[in-house]
Amino acid sequence: MNGYNFAYLDEQTKRMIRRGLLKAVAIPGYQVPFGGREMPMPYGWGTGGMQLTASILGQDDVLKVIDQGADDTTNAVSIRAFFERVAGVDTTTATTEADVIQTRHRIPETPLAAGQILVFQVPIPEPLRFIEPSEEETRVMHALEEYGVMHVKLYEDIARHGHIATTYAYPVKVDGRYVADPSPIPKFDNPKLHMSDALMLFGAGREKRLYAIPPHTRVESLDFEDHPFEVQEWGESCALCGARDSFLDEVITDDQGGRMFVCSDTDYCQRRQEEVA
Amino acid sequence: MRWQAFSDPVQDGQRHFRQVLAAMAEPGTLHDAAAPAVPEDAAIAPALWATLLSLCDLDTSLWIAPGLEAGGLADAVTFHTGCRLASAPDEADFALVTPGVLAGPGRDSTPAFAEGSDAYPDRGSTLLVVLDTLAEGGHWRLAGPGIPDSRDLDVGEATPLMTRLAANQVRFPRGLDAILGCGERLVAIPRSTRIEASVSATPEEDRACTSQ
Repeated sequence: MNGYNFAYLDEQTKRMIRRGLLKAVAIPGYQVPFGGREMPMPYGWGTGGMQLTASILGQDDVLKVIDQGADDTTNAVSIRAFFERVAGVDTTTATTEADVIQTRHRIPETPLAAGQILVFQVPIPEPLRFIEPSEEETRVMHALEEYGVMHVKLYEDIARHGHIATTYAYPVKVDGRYVADPSPIPKFDNPKLHMSDALMLFGAGREKRLYAIPPHTRVESLDFEDHPFEVQEWGESCALCGARDSFLDEVITDDQGGRMFVCSDTDYCQRRQEEVA
Repeated sequence: MRWQAFSDPVQDGQRHFRQVLAAMAEPGTLHDAAAPAVPEDAAIAPALWATLLSLCDLDTSLWIAPGLEAGGLADAVTFHTGCRLASAPDEADFALVTPGVLAGPGRDSTPAFAEGSDAYPDRGSTLLVVLDTLAEGGHWRLAGPGIPDSRDLDVGEATPLMTRLAANQVRFPRGLDAILGCGERLVAIPRSTRIEASVSATPEEDRACTSQ
């Protein structure tokens, strides 16, 4: 395949990542260190997700790549083209037809099915990092299940804004043990992590960490009894498909204050438009 | 007959890994591996041989319990994968065992495996367990991540194994992950799985995977 090994990475690297993935699945939410490799694009563009995808992908898999829900944005188009070229796999934009979905910052609106694998691109895998900059310290905090400080952060939100103002990368507790960063998905998507039918893998390239949420696993978003976890709502519906239940992007249409709301998940939106037509 | 490698190491290795990954993600589900043949006098299941081929390399070490080297396994695995053989069980990333090995002749002689630390639980060993029986149903009830409600598993006479894995719960996140193999059949029980003996034990016919 043009001088590359199948799916770009060499077999020894894939095996190292595969062994790490098995441990990650066995210890849900725990960040497994791995020997991250240099990928042919900069950190921050999804090198972690790409290394996981390269390690799990087979020639019969159908791959879908989304960036903020869209199949047609730069990051999604490039990564899709990359795997078409180095692995020769079929790609799709349809959520239901994909075996492996690599995603940047969204979970598709269409519910995932058993057997599908969702691969997240993660910039900062450590949910405690903004509170405790030392890796040594955060590792001890995870070991001791010392997560009180996370609630202090959420409480500070309430003290300052009257409500929990964290809207994305909203921390979750996986199977009642590890606090994990669900990657910068909007908190709108957090409920989809809970008891999902699909396996979810998370890869951080620069930080060289991977972790997993197996299917049918309890995932709670951290909250307080008197300030329960809530997802955002829009007064609007999608201007293209009319959906009221999907995550909406605000699009500025002119310089007169004109704007519209459209689904961030392009596949979901298109399918709804086809159903209506 | 010799120990066969994957005919296509890249694709077959990937395919087998995905089965192990699916097994680990949904503990207690049965997976049929398309495993290369093993010699007739081999003591390990083809499913576990395929697992060794797909996961071991020069970065890993393997401990083989006495009796399981039959058929020249030690030479075959080092030749095909380049992995190191560990002299003691607690130095190994992977350990090939039988339930009998885990029972040990006496309580003190039960082999100790690496269980990782609270800070690095991923450094625990993965047990590759050779079983005579592996089927759905049976009197071991599994629950936890990857299991919607509960799943029943029949592992035959393997009480020492299940007792050892059930003990993972009190040490979590430290612990042992297990890949069970019987013939071509494969099941995984990660340390996150909660195990208990269920009361409704109904022996089923045709439960030995080797009978097919």
